Amino acid sequence: MQPTNVNNDSGLRYVAEDEGAYAIRLRGVTKRFGAQTAVDRLDFDVPRGVVYGLLGPNGSGKTTTIRMIMGILHPDEGRVTLFGGDPGRARRTRVGYLPEERGLYKKMRCLDVITFLAEIRGVPRHEGRRKGGAWLERLGLSAWADRRVEDLSKGMQQKVQFVSTVIHEPELLILDEPFAGLDPINQDVLEEIVRDFHAQGTTILFSTHLMDQAERLCQRVCLISDARKVLDSDLRALKASERRGVLAVEFEGPDGWLHGPEIQSVERSDAGLHLLLREGADHQRILERGISAGARFSRFQLVEPRLHEIFVRHAGMETGSGGAR
Amino acid sequence: MWGNVRAVVRREYLQRVRSRWFVASTLFAPLFLFAVMVLPSWFTSGDQPEERSLAVVDGTGVLYERLAPLLEEAGYDVHEQRWHADVVTELRGESAAGIISGFLMVDELTLETGEAIFYTRFPPNPLRRATLRGSIARAALEFQLEQRDVDADALLRGGELEVEPLGDFGADSREPRFLVAYVGSFLLYMVILIYAIAVMRATLEEKTSRIVEVIVSSMEPWHLMLGKIVGVGAVSLTQLTIWLVLGILLVVSGLPMLVAAEPGLADLSRITQALPDAGMIALFVGFFVFGFFMYSGLYAAVGAMCNSDEEAQQAQLPVILFIVVPVIMVVGVIEDPSSNLSVGLSLFPLFTPILMWARVAGGTVPPVEIALSFVLMALATLGIAWVAGRIYKVGILMAGKRPTLPELWRWIREA
Repeated sequence: MQPTNVNNDSGLRYVAEDEGAYAIRLRGVTKRFGAQTAVDRLDFDVPRGVVYGLLGPNGSGKTTTIRMIMGILHPDEGRVTLFGGDPGRARRTRVGYLPEERGLYKKMRCLDVITFLAEIRGVPRHEGRRKGGAWLERLGLSAWADRRVEDLSKGMQQKVQFVSTVIHEPELLILDEPFAGLDPINQDVLEEIVRDFHAQGTTILFSTHLMDQAERLCQRVCLISDARKVLDSDLRALKASERRGVLAVEFEGPDGWLHGPEIQSVERSDAGLHLLLREGADHQRILERGISAGARFSRFQLVEPRLHEIFVRHAGMETGSGGAR
Repeated sequence: MWGNVRAVVRREYLQRVRSRWFVASTLFAPLFLFAVMVLPSWFTSGDQPEERSLAVVDGTGVLYERLAPLLEEAGYDVHEQRWHADVVTELRGESAAGIISGFLMVDELTLETGEAIFYTRFPPNPLRRATLRGSIARAALEFQLEQRDVDADALLRGGELEVEPLGDFGADSREPRFLVAYVGSFLLYMVILIYAIAVMRATLEEKTSRIVEVIVSSMEPWHLMLGKIVGVGAVSLTQLTIWLVLGILLVVSGLPMLVAAEPGLADLSRITQALPDAGMIALFVGFFVFGFFMYSGLYAAVGAMCNSDEEAQQAQLPVILFIVVPVIMVVGVIEDPSSNLSVGLSLFPLFTPILMWARVAGGTVPPVEIALSFVLMALATLGIAWVAGRIYKVGILMAGKRPTLPELWRWIREA
C-alpha cells in the first residue's frame, strides 16, 4: 500500500487511511466543463460493506462523480481515494463498474464477451467461462450464451453486461443507474443479486434517480442536487430525524389552508395527502388552521417520510418520482 | 500486465478470423484474380476440335514449316494442303462438311507484305485475328531474315538488354518487372489501408459503446491500443500468407494442370516467370508490417478522437493523403527509380512501403538505401506510437466534440 497524504482542507479529522474502513472517499472534489460546474466541492465516504446510494435528479452530477472515482475523469480540485489510495489501475481492477451508457461488443457471443472482460481483469479463461456460464444460467440466459450480443434484446444485453461487471468478484461494485431500462421483473432480479452481494460483504455504490429503489436497497445515501451535496447520512437515522417533517392527512372540506407558510409542498399519496413541512414548522398550528378553515379530518398523522420527500425538503425541488401538487 | 494485452490480441484475432467477411475475402480474392487472368484465354480456347482444325495452303513451299508451330501454339490443329487449281473449291467443301473450320492461303505476296487470305466458318474475334496476323507476319519475317543469315529468333523475341550497373547496386540486377512492382504496390496500399481502417473502426466501436471505460479501468489505454494493432496485424498477415500460398499453388500447380487440359492456354505459363522470389517476399512482408504499424497507429488516434463514423470519415482525410500520394506517384517511380526525387520520396517513412517496394521490385536499389528506409520506418513507427498513444489515451475517454488542433496538441503534451 502506498502511504496516503490526504488533502485535509475539508476540516474533517481522520487518521491516515489504510485499506481499512472506507472503500471510497471524496474530499472537496470539483469538476468543471467549461463554464459549467458539474460537481461542486463534493465530500462523502463509502464505508466498506454497505450499499450506498448516490441519489439525485438527472444531470445533478452523479455520473461525473462516478467517472471521477473510476479515474475516467480527473477532478479539477479535491481528491478521490479508492481503497485508501489513488484510483490507479491496480485498485480499479478490484472494482466492478457498470457505466451508465451501456455497451458490449455487438458481434461477439455473450459468453465470449464475459470471458474476455474477465480475462483482462486477471480471471483465467476457463474459469471466466465457467463462472460466466453459471451466471447466465442464474439470469435465465443459458440458451443465449453462444448467440451474438446484437441478437439479444436490450434488457438481456443489460443483464449480460451486469454479469461481465461482477464476473471477477470485485470487492466494490459501482453501478451507474443499474436499473434503468429493465422491466419490473428484471429490476427485482437485479435487486435480489445486489442484496446477495451485500450479504457476502461486497461494498456497493449505485446511482439512481429512482428514490423508491434506493429506499429499498441502501443503508447510506448521498443526495446531490445541482452539482452539490444536499446531505449524506445513514438512511434509517435520516428517516428518524426527519420524522417530524411529513404529515399524512385525509380530510373533507376546504383546502385553502394547505397554502400556509409552514408547508413546503403537498403530494398525493396512496390515501390522502402528504404535507412536507418546512424546518421548524409546528404541526399543531397546521391542525388548528385546518379545523378553523372548516376541514373535517379523518387522519392527521406524523409519518416516516419517504426518501423522495426528504430529498424534496432538502433540495427544494422535485425529483423524478412523480410528485404532485 | 501482458496477460490482458494477450487477451486483447486474442479477442481481436479470433473475432476477425472467424468472421464471414474474412473467410470470403481470403478465399475469393485469389480465385477471383486467377479467374480474371485465365478466363479470357479460356473463352477463346473453349472451341470444339473441328473449330480449331485449320488447313494451310502454302503457295511458297517455305512458309508452312515456320507457320505451323506458331499456329499450334495459338491453339489450332493445322495440316498442310498442297496447292492446285481447284483447292479453294475443295476446301470450301470440306469446311461446309464440317471437316475443317477453315483454311489459310499464303503465297509469294505473303512473304513480302504479310498479306494472306483466311476462309473460315468461324470469323475470328479481334484477339484471334491479331494472333493469326502476327503469326503470319512473324513466319514471313523469319524466312526473310534467315535468307540474310540473321538470328531471326533472337531479334524477333525482342532482343536482350544486359544491364551493367556502374556503382554499388548489389549483385542482383534483373530486368525491370513492372507487373510485380505495380501489383505489389497496389496490394500494399490496399491491405494496409483496409486493416488500418479496421483498427480505427474497432477503436471507434469501443469508444462509442463505452466498453472502453470498463476495459481501461483494468488496463493501460496504450496496452489496449497495442493489443488491438497487433491483433488486427496478425489477422492481416494471416490473410496475406493464405493469399500467397494459394497464389503460388494456383500458379505453380493449378496453371500447368490447366494448360495440360487446355493447350490453348499455353501463353499463361509465362505468369510463372513473374513470381517474386523468397527475398522479395520477405521485403514485401517487411514493408507491409512497418506500413501497417505506422498507419494503424495514426488510424487508432483518429478513431480515438472521434465520436461517430461520420466524424471519423472526415478526420481520416489527412492520413488518407499520406497513403494515396505514393500510389499516385508509383508509376513515375517505377519508370525512373534512381532519380533524386524517387530516392527522396521512397525514404520518407510513410511513403516507403509503397514507393520503396516499387523501386526494389521494378529495378535496382542499393542495399544501403533499403536498410536506411527500414531504420527510418522503425523510428517513425516509434514516433507515431508515442504521439498516437497519447492522443488515444485522452481521446478514448473523451466525449463531446472532436478536438481542434491546439486541443490535440495539449492532449499530446499533457497525456
